[in-house]
Amino acid sequence: MGVFARFFGQNAALGLFAGLLLAAPLWAQETKKEPKKPAAQLPVGNLDAKDWLKVSTKPLEKGEIDRLVNAELAKVSIKPAPPTTDEQFIRRVHLDLTGKLPAPADIVAFLKDTSKDKRAKLIDKLLESDAYARHWGNYWRNVITTRATIDFRLTQVVPQYERWMTAQYKANKSWADITRAQLTASGKILYKEPDKNAQAFFLMSRRGADSITEIAAETSRIFLGVQIQCAQCHDHPSDVWKRRHFHEFAAYFARYRGERPILEEKKFVGVQLISLPFGEHRMPDKEDPKRGLAMNPKFLDGKQPAGAKPVPSTSGPIGRGGFFPKKGGFGKGGFGRAGGMSDDARRKALADQITDKNNPWFAAAFVNRMWGEVMGQSFYSPIDDLGPQKDAMMPTVIARVSASFRGNDYNIKQLFRDILNSDAYQRQIRPGEPGDEHLLFAARNPVRMNSTALVASLTSTLGPLSSGFGGKFGKFGGGGFGRFGGGVEAQIRNEFLFDPSTKAEEIEGSISQALILMNNPQINQKIRAQGTNMLGRILANYDDNTEALRVVYLRTLARRPTDREAKRCLEHIKSAGSRAEAFEDILWALINSTEFQMKR
Amino acid sequence: MTAQSLMQVRTNHDGVVSRRTFLRSLAAGAAGLGLMETLTAHAQELRRREMACILLFMGGGPSQFETFDPKPGHANGGATTAIDTAVNGIRIASPWTNVAREMNHIALVRSMSNREGEHQRATYLMHTGYLPVGGVRFPTLGSIVASEIAPRNFDLPSFVGIGGRGIFGGGSIGSGFLGTRYAPFAIQNPDQMPANVSLPTGTTQARFGRRLGLMQDLERDFAESGGQARVTDHRAYVNGAANLVRSPRLQAFDLSRETAATRDRYGRNAFGQGCLLARRLVETGVTFVEVGLNGWDTHQNNFDRSRQLSTQADAGFANLVRDLRERGRLDRTLIIWTGEFGRTPRINGNNGRDHYPRAFSIALAGGGIRGGRVIGSTSAGGNDITNRPVGVADLFCTVCHSLGIDPRKENQTPIGRPIRIVDGGNHVRELFGA
Repeated sequence: MGVFARFFGQNAALGLFAGLLLAAPLWAQETKKEPKKPAAQLPVGNLDAKDWLKVSTKPLEKGEIDRLVNAELAKVSIKPAPPTTDEQFIRRVHLDLTGKLPAPADIVAFLKDTSKDKRAKLIDKLLESDAYARHWGNYWRNVITTRATIDFRLTQVVPQYERWMTAQYKANKSWADITRAQLTASGKILYKEPDKNAQAFFLMSRRGADSITEIAAETSRIFLGVQIQCAQCHDHPSDVWKRRHFHEFAAYFARYRGERPILEEKKFVGVQLISLPFGEHRMPDKEDPKRGLAMNPKFLDGKQPAGAKPVPSTSGPIGRGGFFPKKGGFGKGGFGRAGGMSDDARRKALADQITDKNNPWFAAAFVNRMWGEVMGQSFYSPIDDLGPQKDAMMPTVIARVSASFRGNDYNIKQLFRDILNSDAYQRQIRPGEPGDEHLLFAARNPVRMNSTALVASLTSTLGPLSSGFGGKFGKFGGGGFGRFGGGVEAQIRNEFLFDPSTKAEEIEGSISQALILMNNPQINQKIRAQGTNMLGRILANYDDNTEALRVVYLRTLARRPTDREAKRCLEHIKSAGSRAEAFEDILWALINSTEFQMKR
Repeated sequence: MTAQSLMQVRTNHDGVVSRRTFLRSLAAGAAGLGLMETLTAHAQELRRREMACILLFMGGGPSQFETFDPKPGHANGGATTAIDTAVNGIRIASPWTNVAREMNHIALVRSMSNREGEHQRATYLMHTGYLPVGGVRFPTLGSIVASEIAPRNFDLPSFVGIGGRGIFGGGSIGSGFLGTRYAPFAIQNPDQMPANVSLPTGTTQARFGRRLGLMQDLERDFAESGGQARVTDHRAYVNGAANLVRSPRLQAFDLSRETAATRDRYGRNAFGQGCLLARRLVETGVTFVEVGLNGWDTHQNNFDRSRQLSTQADAGFANLVRDLRERGRLDRTLIIWTGEFGRTPRINGNNGRDHYPRAFSIALAGGGIRGGRVIGSTSAGGNDITNRPVGVADLFCTVCHSLGIDPRKENQTPIGRPIRIVDGGNHVRELFGA
């Protein structure tokens, strides 16, 4: 189809909206290979901040998303894939909203239900479940931790942060409230007070000399979808945001110093956020990186915080070192000790400017991320790279959906309702799609589930995998070696972990992953058709092989076998030495199959 | 096999073998198709050369005074004494007797510096060549080297990490933006076979084969309904894993095949056995092995603890050099001994030393490095570098030079940002050549 390649082969704005008339950055996209079909055909374009704000912020009407999407599809004569069957839908919506497979009884009941609005009702029911809140708590934990270098002192509060985020989702706090709480946090997180102040974790995820620029970059990436850190070191000729813009943004964190451990009687008892009463961020001089210009905080739109009095931006030596400036770091030649805004005031101002209804990036970044997570593909790709002059697939759609998200005060559950009730969400996967190109939301893109969902799937299929050590919230996480908490659950959590901001088509498997599912003794023990194991019970309860097979399929893939699959399995049962062994082979094959790990 | 000729080989696997081609060839491997046709002449050239690298990472930051830059007689030197080595004029701390004997084949850099004094960030810097930057996950050295020079049709992992478990372990840094294809294959305990490589109890090879066949058949409907691309990718890894399980080369992981005398020589501890395993893996064709030895963060009781750790490190490091040399593999295997930083010249109130990134020592051997040399020097009290400072980028360029990797090659992050393998620096010329 070549759509993806053609999509990213486009350089300039395509007239759906007048974009910033600049060439795309040289490093913007990697694929520039295929000769393109007439460019105007693709629903690709570039949005400027002004354009976003012209779009209606009224609640989305029923069917509105589909009218917008289908209009774009009609322009390029692409027919949407058929709607999902109930069986396909119930698995998808469970995995997307809760990271868990539906129970076989729920599948059967859903198939029997004849009410017309059963899909909408199921979406509502799942949005109210604890599993929904836990799934997204876990999601945000991974967004932050997979890009941070987190030491053992901070590792201990990661589960606390996950619980905090879970509680926000449970209460359906607005995305603006969740963001503000994290950006304006201060104080400590103590190990002995696991449910206090954990919103400070995001700001604690950085530490040391470069914590200012790192947290500035992460704040921009996560909450605005803008990767302004590219401008940290160099001006890019074609990028609207220059080096100075990055350092002005970083100046909101000028008096922030990241995390420091709290030591009491030679024991670490918690972590705290360090805030200084003075100091300014300096943009390093290109000739002499030990000196730099003091920066005034300024938002991406060039606006200073409300009420801020600009201070003369003079040159001075840059303080280095960990928590406190080295001698000469501040004061001399820079802002006076009393100059500028306090740390709290700066971060509060930043939270105000980020969540301001006239800032389109905040809503767009969240909508793009959530849409991508549940649809398998997003408007902007990767999901955390929106601009300033990146092309979006179907910009009219994200503009309208994110405007409505602003209009309803960043109501997360309403956003999920709007997306998940659309036909666009409820489409099937489709044969012949290439797997690494944009499908224009005409068909579902099958993507891998995250490691927590995989553990949950295995557990709901086989029962609890390991007890105790390294259990649910294993202490160690990360992509390297040497961080296993122990036990097969922790192994899976570590080996299958991926950064949720990765493009779906770039999430790779590994040989170590395959080895776990193939050979892990604990998993294979659970596969055995004996005792109280899943298979043992099924074979005891169902004498009929076809019946037993149906139950095994419902438990693993949350669907019934196709005729061809049933035939192949029955043949295998016939040819194998024993019924138990044959079913063990089938269960092994299903757990190791691609589909088992896929949201589809 | 000179370093100069290696530099002529421009290695760029990703330029010639796309990810999908790689996956296809991985899948084809099991179907009995050769991979060679998908490899370029350059890759073949490299495969023949079989360059490898072993990183011995001393987590916590070893004291240069108690290792390779002792200062006996100076107040900062403490009670540590120095011994002669096989090379006239090179003296090292007394526990390092085995290394002293191999000194003809080992080069010391006493003028190493690093701008970070915090464990995690310094460990990150020494593994990736970069300090953490928001939004970019830099790959660790093993992943970089594996992505550049590892052969593609090899049935063991090309990057193996041994031990290093714990807070200062380098393993907390993975393959970053290079992807899980180049992630370290982790071995916690070198005395045991790696996790999950043996078939579970009750599964014969024949049954394993039947299961794989069944799985392939049962995936067909999902593939045909729209999952084909994902099935193709997944199957590549499944086949890779199945090949590994069935590989005769797996026995490289089995230390029980070594004599008791050999195992004793390396030291009966996790690091020593890890070094022995590293030798076996490199000889079998593994490209990069990292072996960790933690515990060097000696804020207290520095002298006793450094001596204990040195005894372990000495036996593992020296026997690795010796065996690879006697077996003719040392020229093609670069060995790096380093921590994340050094320790303070001043001895603190707890008879310990604190973090000191400004001037510390590392050791290099093999891979074209000329042994018996000392690069750089420090002042009498060890406070300052007095000659030939070497930075982290210089060290990374040196590794690239030895292995035939272009340090200026740019890799792309997921957002298409070009990242050089090494930003800045130059290789240390004095370490190579006559």
